[in-house]
Amino acid sequence: MKTKIGVYICQCGGNISDYVDVEKVREAVKNEPGVALAKHMMFTCADSSQKEMIDDIKENNLDALVVASCSPKLHLYTFRNVAERAGINQYNYIQVNLREQCSWAHTDKPKDATLKGIGLVRAGIAKVRLSEALEKITISSYNVVTIIGAGVSGMRAAIELADMGTDVYLIEKDHFVGGRPTQMEELFQSKQTGKEITERLFTEIKKREKIKLFTGAELESLTGNIGNFHAKVKIKPRYIIPGYDKKKLKEAIEKCTDEVTDEFNFGLIKRKTIYKNYDKALPDIPVIDKDSFNPDDEFLETYKDCIDLNQKEKILNLKSGAILLCTGFDLYEPNKGEYGYENFENVITLHQLKRIIELNDNEKLIYNSKEIKRIVFIYCVGSRQTKGENKYCSRFCCTAAIHSSIIIKKEYKDIRCCHIYRDMRTYGKQEILYNEARDQKDMFFKFNEEEPPIIEKEGDNIIVKIKDVLLEGQEIELIPDLVVLVTGMIPRKDTPALANIVKAPIGLDKFFNEVHPKLRPVETVIDGVFIAGSCQGPKNITESINSSLAASAKIHSIISSGEIKLEPIIATINKDTCEWCGKCIEVCDYDAITKTEYNGKSIATVNIALCKGGGMCLPVCPVDAIEITGYSNSEIESMIDAINKEIKIESTEEVTPVDESEHKMKEMPEIWNKILESLKQEQKSISQIAEDTNLSSPVITYHIMTMVKYGYINPTEMDEMDEFYFYELKK
Amino acid sequence: MSLRINFEVINKIEALGSKGMEKCYNCGNCIGICPMELDILPRKIFRYALLGIHNKIVEEKEMIFSCLLCKRCEESCPSDVPIAENIRILRYYINREEFKI
Repeated sequence: MKTKIGVYICQCGGNISDYVDVEKVREAVKNEPGVALAKHMMFTCADSSQKEMIDDIKENNLDALVVASCSPKLHLYTFRNVAERAGINQYNYIQVNLREQCSWAHTDKPKDATLKGIGLVRAGIAKVRLSEALEKITISSYNVVTIIGAGVSGMRAAIELADMGTDVYLIEKDHFVGGRPTQMEELFQSKQTGKEITERLFTEIKKREKIKLFTGAELESLTGNIGNFHAKVKIKPRYIIPGYDKKKLKEAIEKCTDEVTDEFNFGLIKRKTIYKNYDKALPDIPVIDKDSFNPDDEFLETYKDCIDLNQKEKILNLKSGAILLCTGFDLYEPNKGEYGYENFENVITLHQLKRIIELNDNEKLIYNSKEIKRIVFIYCVGSRQTKGENKYCSRFCCTAAIHSSIIIKKEYKDIRCCHIYRDMRTYGKQEILYNEARDQKDMFFKFNEEEPPIIEKEGDNIIVKIKDVLLEGQEIELIPDLVVLVTGMIPRKDTPALANIVKAPIGLDKFFNEVHPKLRPVETVIDGVFIAGSCQGPKNITESINSSLAASAKIHSIISSGEIKLEPIIATINKDTCEWCGKCIEVCDYDAITKTEYNGKSIATVNIALCKGGGMCLPVCPVDAIEITGYSNSEIESMIDAINKEIKIESTEEVTPVDESEHKMKEMPEIWNKILESLKQEQKSISQIAEDTNLSSPVITYHIMTMVKYGYINPTEMDEMDEFYFYELKK
Repeated sequence: MSLRINFEVINKIEALGSKGMEKCYNCGNCIGICPMELDILPRKIFRYALLGIHNKIVEEKEMIFSCLLCKRCEESCPSDVPIAENIRILRYYINREEFKI
């Protein structure tokens, strides 16, 4: 029980003291049990005030602190810090929210605000009396990170973490690293191809012993908590014997006759069943697609030093302190018939076009053995669907489409590109690309979402019909050789399954969700699980790398010291009372409760690293065996009692506000009554009211606006000339 | 009645040396300031020229030949479109293609 409590009431420079009479509050609480000192200050958060508090605490040997000021979201840590510096445990400090929850909320009733303020401060004092000194919970942590996904984000984060001294397990589901950028060829602005960037990152990874890369690896399960995760990873075999003879395997690949659809090239060509995604794919070891690989015995016998079809899946158990998800995105696949996709063979997607340009080795651009001279790009396919599922803008596609058209023009001079777009979003430095495309005589057509372009077949040709905004909706027809649908990013198909394994939340857009989009963009609500890159939402490569570096720094700052400090406000279970019914385990959002044995019976146990003190378990416990540290029954009950206690204020007069003129604004001024009087009979315009009340029309306008805002009057209709509004009393 | 884009016409006009028409963003400053009050010039006519719609260009020949080439519109153009030069090129185009001069 605390007996020497210091209470400080903040005026907040008038924000609080204009409505709450801080002196009356001080008077009312100074004799509360345990209070040794009560003061009010202009700004409790000011440096001088903090110093005064520390001096007071030391001088009077105070053992607990209450500051009645603003929301704890703003200054909880400020004053916890003050308490620490003065030698009080930070959990013997309570913040009372006198601003957001009292003065600002009750500007119209200063007297009642004062009464409420007294109740709130008393409750704070009652709670702090029973408060206990707590220490942060310390748990040990592995200085190791498991990164899921070896695309550009994952690889860049791995390099950064390794350089900072953290060990990295880098897990890639595919057999080759690099992810989507390897399919994209030349990229704006670096002019490097995605493959070059991948190669560069891969070379850096190979230089670092701290990074262990696993390809063909999939996360099976994840247990544990921040500092101590156990990941079970399944590794698919390549069926190639390590240390194989490169020449011989090359020969085998040439001889191999089985072919399947090449997913890396979006089904445009076929690939062999012993394959690499592309020629220089990394790591530089081919893979055998065992399901479609049907060699004869002679083939197997000839190449038995290279190929071993009996290789088995391996399971690895990896221990790490944190998990970083860099799983990336999928490309939107248009529905059959969407802008003629799959109905007409010359309707393709942007990523297919990129592969066609890459695979084409003629002087002219050939597709379906026909020369391409005119290309139409249709933008926002699968993005910004107000009625569909993907409401977001995919960010990269406008740039990617325009950039492709520039590359095409450089390579094949005769091709003309037409862009049919909803809004051109080549933001930031990419704007120069738009100018470049315009200067090379690309044609631009804007369309509204309600009137999308129509793709039809006329003989052998495809016709694109657009309502041209610049010609006031006049329909324009265009005959292209190729229609390219500029498709956006969608969440990966396996995102829900992965989210289930790591317990990370998925947002409404089905991408992984961060804690706070602006202030905590790489953390998830699960401690120790971080997200980076486009698994969080559409991003270009620059933005993905930004987020992966941010995540690296964040992870390193948490796990590198080998121990993690956690908030001590968690659930505790009374082992003797608990009779294990399992109700608490059902409601816990963090899976922090497990069943254990104690004295021959089953009881619930709280994992201190997972528990967030959410308190869901508390009300469902039928035997009242759970308590949240810092929010015990006795503390809460004492707060309720304190609020209920009768409040005596000597004078019932209005409190003294600081600024007289401001005070007038709080009441309905005389002018308002005049206006209401004038509007009693019929609706009137501002100038008519001004005439009635003998006031200038600017004054009337000002008050009318305020009265409309507060719901006293309503605008009705405009006059015949559409020049001004009439107003009437609200019914 | 929908208009069909004609790439041959586009190529012809481009070959005559038209430039900067695509920079027009339809603000209408040119029309506001025109001493001849030509209300189709130049934003709509340039759009037709860019899309290679021959009939529409010829339809507006009165307008195109009424222009004084005073360049007041050019001075007020926020997008720096060389309006007078392009009008001259369109006259050349009409003379050659329509009047066969």
